Amino acid sequence: MELLQEPSLPGAALAEELDKKLLIQLRDGRKILGILRSFDQFANLVLEGAIERIIVGEQYGDIPLGLQLIRGENVVLLGEVDPAHEVPRGLTQISEAAIRQAQKAEKELNKLKATLRSRMDFLDLE
Amino acid sequence: MLPLSLLKTAQGHAVLVELKTGETYNGHMVMCDTWMNIHLREVICTSKDGDRFWRMPEAYIRGNTIKYIRVPDEVIDKVQEENFRRDEKRPASGGRGRGRGGAFGGRGEGGRGGPEGGRGGRGV
Repeated sequence: MELLQEPSLPGAALAEELDKKLLIQLRDGRKILGILRSFDQFANLVLEGAIERIIVGEQYGDIPLGLQLIRGENVVLLGEVDPAHEVPRGLTQISEAAIRQAQKAEKELNKLKATLRSRMDFLDLE
Repeated sequence: MLPLSLLKTAQGHAVLVELKTGETYNGHMVMCDTWMNIHLREVICTSKDGDRFWRMPEAYIRGNTIKYIRVPDEVIDKVQEENFRRDEKRPASGGRGRGRGGAFGGRGEGGRGGPEGGRGGRGV
């Protein structure tokens, strides 16, 4: 592991990530992988060959998105992907349709849990 | 190539815009500006859950409501082409700096375009 030089300005940091495969996390929780082609002062990003990776429990699925322009204010964080460790360990890949179904099922389950919890609220259990 | 210039190049192509609210708008981009406001034609709007659809002849979307824009892959090749064509026109702008040279000392123009015009105005 080499020591990385600290970039002097926050704006300079993205220039080092150009043409690299990155993982971008958006405010709505989505994880997008793609090669950073360009950026600007608002951190709007252009990703080439973008894919959305949805992870549900032990499974994950990739949805191809193509060329994408992401508005900077929606990005929470981003980081470089190590090509050797790109596929998360211990997870199995399933098809796009299957992962979407799994995601919907998980959302329904969470909604159910939330309604049950809110019904129990009046009990004021500590 | 800046993100907004990619957007300008994508004018006339079909794009998919997702808003912060989760709705997606599919349509042909007529115009875009520096604030990412977009004018689309022949638009299909899909609700957040993907269960309701609307069709409208035109839509104008304010830039600050956009989450992301998906653009067809061929646009990236079109941008390379435009950059190439713009670089060919560049040599003509070298002589512009002379007029400003007196006021700013030529420093402003010297760095950017052709250095010959800007620096000459200082007091040679």
